[in-house]
Amino acid sequence: MKLIRGLMAAAVGGLLLANPAQGQRGVISGRVVDSTSQLPMQSVTVTIEGTQRGAVTGVDGAFRLADLPAGSARLRVTRIGYSPQVKDVAVQAGQTATVRFVLQSVAANLGAVVVTGYGSQRKEAITGAVVTINADEANVGVIANPTQLLTGRAAGVNVTLNSGEPGAGAQIRIRGGTSITASNDPLYVIDGVPLQNNEAQARGVGIGGTPPIGRNPLNAINPSDISSVTVLKDAAATAIYGSRGANGVVLIETKRGRTGQATMEYETYAAVGVAANSLNPLSSAEYRDLLSREIANTNNPAATRAALVTQRNGLGTANTNWENELRRNAITQNHNLSFAGGNQTTTFRASLNFNDQQGVVLSNGFQRLQARLNGNHEALSGRLRIGLNLSSSRIQDDYLPFENTGGFEGGVFQNAVIFLPTNPVFVTDPVTQAQRFFETGPGRQERRNPVALAEQTIDEGETIRTLANVTSSFSIFPSLIAQVNVGSDRSNGQRNVYQPRAGSVGSEFNGLAQQSQRALSNQTLQTLLTWSPTIGNDIEFDATGGYEYTDFDNRDFSMQTRNFTSDAFTFNNLGAGSLPQIPQSNQEQARLVSFFGRANIGYKNRYFLTGVLRRDGSSRFGDANKWAVFPAISGSWLISDESFAKGLPFSQLKLRAGYGLQGNQAVAPYASLASLAPDGGARYVFGNTVFTGIVPNVNPNPNLKWEQSTQSNIAFDYGIADGRFSGSLEFYSKRTTDLLLTVPISQTGSAFVSTQLQNIGAVQNRGLEFSLDARMYERANRGLNLTSGLVFSVERNKVLDLGPTDFIETSSVSGQGQSGVNAQRIIPGRPIGAFYGAEFAGFNGTGNQLFTKYTVTRNAAGVETSRVANGTTTDPGADDRLVIGDANPNFSLGLRSNLTWHNIDASWLWRAEQGRDVFNNTALVYATKGAITAQRNLIRSGSETPEPISEQAVYSSRWIEDGSFFRLQNVTLGYTFKLPFSGGARTTRVYVSGDNLLLFTKYSGYDPEVFIDAGTASRGVDYLSYPRPRTYTTGLRIQF
Amino acid sequence: MSLFHNPVRTARLGALLLVPVGLMVGCTDLKETPTSLITKDTFYKNSDEVLAGVTSVYANLRNNLESYYSLNSISSAEGVVPVRGGDWFDNGAWLELHRQGWTPNSVTGLREISDIWNQQYAGVARANIVLEALENVTVASGAQIKGELRALRAFYYMQLMDAYGGIPIATDTKVEQREQATRAQVFTFIERELREARAVLPKIWPGQQGRLTQGAADAMLATLYLNARVWSGTPTASGITLGAPRWTEASAFADSVINNGQYSLATASYTSPCGSGYFANFCYTNQTSPENVFVVRGIALDGLGFNRQYNTLHYNSFSGGGGWNGWAIVEQTFNAFDPVDVRRNTILSGPQVDLFTGAPVNNRQGARLIFTPTIANINAADEGEGVRLYKFPLDPNRAGNASGTDFTIYRLAEMILIKAEAQNELGNTEIARGLVNQVRVRGFPGNASKLLPAGLSQTTMRASIFSERVFELTGEGKRRQDQIREGTYTSGTWFGKTAAAAHKVVLPIPQAQINTNPKLTQNPGY
Repeated sequence: MKLIRGLMAAAVGGLLLANPAQGQRGVISGRVVDSTSQLPMQSVTVTIEGTQRGAVTGVDGAFRLADLPAGSARLRVTRIGYSPQVKDVAVQAGQTATVRFVLQSVAANLGAVVVTGYGSQRKEAITGAVVTINADEANVGVIANPTQLLTGRAAGVNVTLNSGEPGAGAQIRIRGGTSITASNDPLYVIDGVPLQNNEAQARGVGIGGTPPIGRNPLNAINPSDISSVTVLKDAAATAIYGSRGANGVVLIETKRGRTGQATMEYETYAAVGVAANSLNPLSSAEYRDLLSREIANTNNPAATRAALVTQRNGLGTANTNWENELRRNAITQNHNLSFAGGNQTTTFRASLNFNDQQGVVLSNGFQRLQARLNGNHEALSGRLRIGLNLSSSRIQDDYLPFENTGGFEGGVFQNAVIFLPTNPVFVTDPVTQAQRFFETGPGRQERRNPVALAEQTIDEGETIRTLANVTSSFSIFPSLIAQVNVGSDRSNGQRNVYQPRAGSVGSEFNGLAQQSQRALSNQTLQTLLTWSPTIGNDIEFDATGGYEYTDFDNRDFSMQTRNFTSDAFTFNNLGAGSLPQIPQSNQEQARLVSFFGRANIGYKNRYFLTGVLRRDGSSRFGDANKWAVFPAISGSWLISDESFAKGLPFSQLKLRAGYGLQGNQAVAPYASLASLAPDGGARYVFGNTVFTGIVPNVNPNPNLKWEQSTQSNIAFDYGIADGRFSGSLEFYSKRTTDLLLTVPISQTGSAFVSTQLQNIGAVQNRGLEFSLDARMYERANRGLNLTSGLVFSVERNKVLDLGPTDFIETSSVSGQGQSGVNAQRIIPGRPIGAFYGAEFAGFNGTGNQLFTKYTVTRNAAGVETSRVANGTTTDPGADDRLVIGDANPNFSLGLRSNLTWHNIDASWLWRAEQGRDVFNNTALVYATKGAITAQRNLIRSGSETPEPISEQAVYSSRWIEDGSFFRLQNVTLGYTFKLPFSGGARTTRVYVSGDNLLLFTKYSGYDPEVFIDAGTASRGVDYLSYPRPRTYTTGLRIQF
Repeated sequence: MSLFHNPVRTARLGALLLVPVGLMVGCTDLKETPTSLITKDTFYKNSDEVLAGVTSVYANLRNNLESYYSLNSISSAEGVVPVRGGDWFDNGAWLELHRQGWTPNSVTGLREISDIWNQQYAGVARANIVLEALENVTVASGAQIKGELRALRAFYYMQLMDAYGGIPIATDTKVEQREQATRAQVFTFIERELREARAVLPKIWPGQQGRLTQGAADAMLATLYLNARVWSGTPTASGITLGAPRWTEASAFADSVINNGQYSLATASYTSPCGSGYFANFCYTNQTSPENVFVVRGIALDGLGFNRQYNTLHYNSFSGGGGWNGWAIVEQTFNAFDPVDVRRNTILSGPQVDLFTGAPVNNRQGARLIFTPTIANINAADEGEGVRLYKFPLDPNRAGNASGTDFTIYRLAEMILIKAEAQNELGNTEIARGLVNQVRVRGFPGNASKLLPAGLSQTTMRASIFSERVFELTGEGKRRQDQIREGTYTSGTWFGKTAAAAHKVVLPIPQAQINTNPKLTQNPGY
């Protein structure tokens, strides 16, 4: 410790002494950029010919040489893979000369620099599977958060928005998911700092159902601040992130200021969204008509028919379309102001963003106010560089009550279907003569007026998230750079809920208020040492070693009270409710410690080899298994540079291959410990006193360790006709073993719950990815330019092994009469997302559903040996259930084009997924005629079947639909011009854009792209999701 | 080196870089120290902490009202859950339970039957961890608490043995795959545990009513011996090979409860908002019942109360929220009641009124709600079909669904009937008659002609006792055990059930248990 203190004193002293000498000497400052991408180039060597002086460019491509004698200096810049350049610069005493180098790649025109995690590389030297998206191209339409930038633009990256709700979360799967219980979310790294994926928003109240699923962790990021998004897909690329790399890594770089280019930019757009689809519940007349038909239907028992007559006579007179009553034209506005600039030593960019989105359903929306400051400074002749990225955002979420669930009585979307169209929205109170919401009766009712539910419930969230990181790098020698990064990610979420006393929910509790808080904090320290010596002209070598420490500290608190005397306090005075509930609080801490190294070697700019080794320690695992090593090796060969390849039609052809090990540690902490907690369910009453029981709440697994994925990747990067057509073709195989899986355990009197988190089983993903970028038409003389891109991916998932478990039931079916019914099973030999149930075989003469009956034979071990269809049954048994669908697509496709013609630009993006099944749980529940006996409305298709009114809703292949789709994701048309009389305005662009304009699908629900959280690794289940909007945007960007 | 013109400064700055290197050494500690959880090494160190552990073992009793209760009621001749339109189908689980159609991997095999195993064994595990801790800490009443925990554990084992036959026995916290004991071995284990526990248990826990007393342990022993022939027997593919009868002990321990001094039959002088005497025993005020020997305590707080009435009541049965309109009493059971037996009033039939206001209520189509004993089609019942158990009335002050009702596991009336059954089997039919009539008289106030007459044969008396148990104990989770003892559980037929295979007298060992513990053998016939 003493040594360290001494060193620190020395270091601080050193810094103070380190002011560069000024006076009779001059300074050269400059920047090196890539000719194609115009992105700054790191690790370029700059030397002054005839002297020993030199420098190496930093992350921002800048260098600085101070204390130079006045006169002419000849600068030479070199970087492997680029043509060297020489420039003469005049150095004047006491002044700074500025110089800019634009380096050209000596190979084909693919020399862009790509961020690869703890550094960057020239694209052609990359040996792993990496895809970069230029944010400026992707940032069209209403892009509320950065994940949407990836939609349809990167092969093997699948983005599914959870719903159409503003701020809704998204499922991002890079090369599919291989985890069953642990998370499948990728690691997000923003400006080099890994982000915590946990939901930052505090949780709401789940009355009669679970609270809605999580929001997007990247909502706090303003998409306009992003300069590039890079996705690391294979193990060779992600192994450097070790234990967190198994699900892929998304690297987000934000924009920076540039020397001498003071710019100011104002961007705005306004959008209007309308719900794109309807579930088609029956109208008033149709409902009456259905009642009449069922009264006449002799398949119904006489008593039922008589009861329906009574019901028909008692119907109201209104004709309310509840879907329409709940919807609105949703207005979104976005304002973005940024300015950037800098001198030779300091650059900055600052931005401010305001985004306000309304939902297409009443009474909900999303607001973001965010500010960001990025600054870079260099000192000591450019040898010391300091960077700061700071962003703080406030997200305000106005939640819709009971978004997806609401128990028996249901939430807004359930009631939009079931609340009778013959009921009015409002009635006049006979006593007070005031207008009030119509309900079917006082107090808790079986059905709730959905408009009242949306309007009366107050459910607001506010999340403040601050991301900060400081980077300092120092070049000890031109070839040796040391870097220290310190990052912090903190968020505070507050959630306030009030259910008023008169509301259909609150009346049961006489008013209910809850405040919840969630605080997430994680801090990262990275130290890096990069050595890139010059070893002859043919050899390119660099090596990076580093250490990383991250700690997580997450806290939750919530308090609820009930029984209010007045609604006046709402949630602001919990003490006004006389019935406090047990408060909840929780703290979780975890740590990660890593040592890692990577070496890149290139020979003749033709052969490249990368080796990665990372040793990770995670606090989440058992004492003996906290540490693990994640290696990767990959190489590439630029075949097209070989003499024998001259005759091939490729202007560039590169073979890449890699193999590596990745880890997954995304499970809750403490699972290896025998811990006890006061469980609400462990309370008991002795006498008249409630005693709190303390129980072991988990079956500890002291042997818990990493989930491991080995992935191999082989790829060709190609360019044809001077790079006019380029892209890559990749094959990968990923095998995940030691799955972190919650499995039933042997319970013989020592297990506290029926399951345990274990390392069991294996899952395999194999796939093919193809991308093509084409400069279709280039006529500079006519001002016409058309580029197109295509991404195509195929992925096959297979569960290989589940240990002693035969199968895992998942995707619980929602709806009445569906308790304990699961739509999917995870079965060895099948993909995750296999639907499992009876095969629907039509209706019999009395309208009852028929299912295929099977005769199954089994061997002595109970393993099925044959299965023969044997007629039909109305009452399917265990043998009649089988795999009836697969939620995974056969392939997915993204297709985009950009057209510019003089000042006009246009772009469009199509997306398709084929051969995927969706379970329409919404139809299963709400297209069942029996609803009318409960005075519930239903979806029109349910009124058109021959079923008797008593027929139950049976989960079967009847409700599995083809969810293939072809979607016009976005179309944008823009015009760029110089604003007349605008003074300093450089360029102005106006555009109109449309999102989700066309959807071709056979699927009968709102949208085939669905996600509901229906259990372990559930896929492709649609139940009452928030309708997706079709959005029309007009926008403007002015640059000064 | 010479590239840099100031080697001194370079060295200083190099030193700066060593700072993080120094930090690296200190930051490799990955030990987890949870803050909002505790570990067992730091807990159970004093009386209060031990009591918190004991509390959790009791809390597990509420699981008796879940799948185990469903099994006892729906798979027997007591209850039925018909499919009601779109409701209560649940992939056929209720029909399968009623028809005793389960297999290890069927709908109920994967759910209810697996749940019972896990829920009851969780009680065992909770007891074991506290018992182990008590080896290392001295607390007040330590011996009694140990007895209490051993008796509670024995109770969980009794439910398990009742359900599955031979099962593994664990008395420590070692996580391991254990051998399966035979049913007779489990019987002996439970017997020893309860006998040793009863010797140290108090007759009351002052101020902490609800804890397990000597009377409760005696009631468990009485039950154990009552079912001894089944429970010390051997399940086979063709039913149970019966073990030896233990009628003397059954009678003795029932007697021990009867003469305990703490219990008496509720008479008209014991009143409640739900009626007096018999009816007051099941009211939400029943913690004061003189008859209760062992209960699952309930209080009107979310998650801590009784809510099984919701299963039976119609959506419109009461104002301020509705029932779930599912469970009905099997027609034959309802009809077995003497129409003038007031205990039949615990079952709702005929035109219905709001249970709080008394106003007539309608079904959801707007016609008067009438509960009828007959269910025409078990696959397509309408809202009013099937009569409904309403033995445990709703608490007007309930929170959520939770009524402040104690669910009776053992009460004095049953002990009298156990003694009667044992005495009849021992040949003392007249003693049995007197005991049965002590209970029966409450069903027929002022109507002595309905009491059992003298001179019944042993066989007739046996049938009368089984019937009396139906009239007295319907809805209290006894019917399955009774029918197995009587020999009518699998072979019997009633509404919606035909004869089932004889091996269904025990459940299959859950498949997940067989898969994870190779030492287990599936029960014969499955």
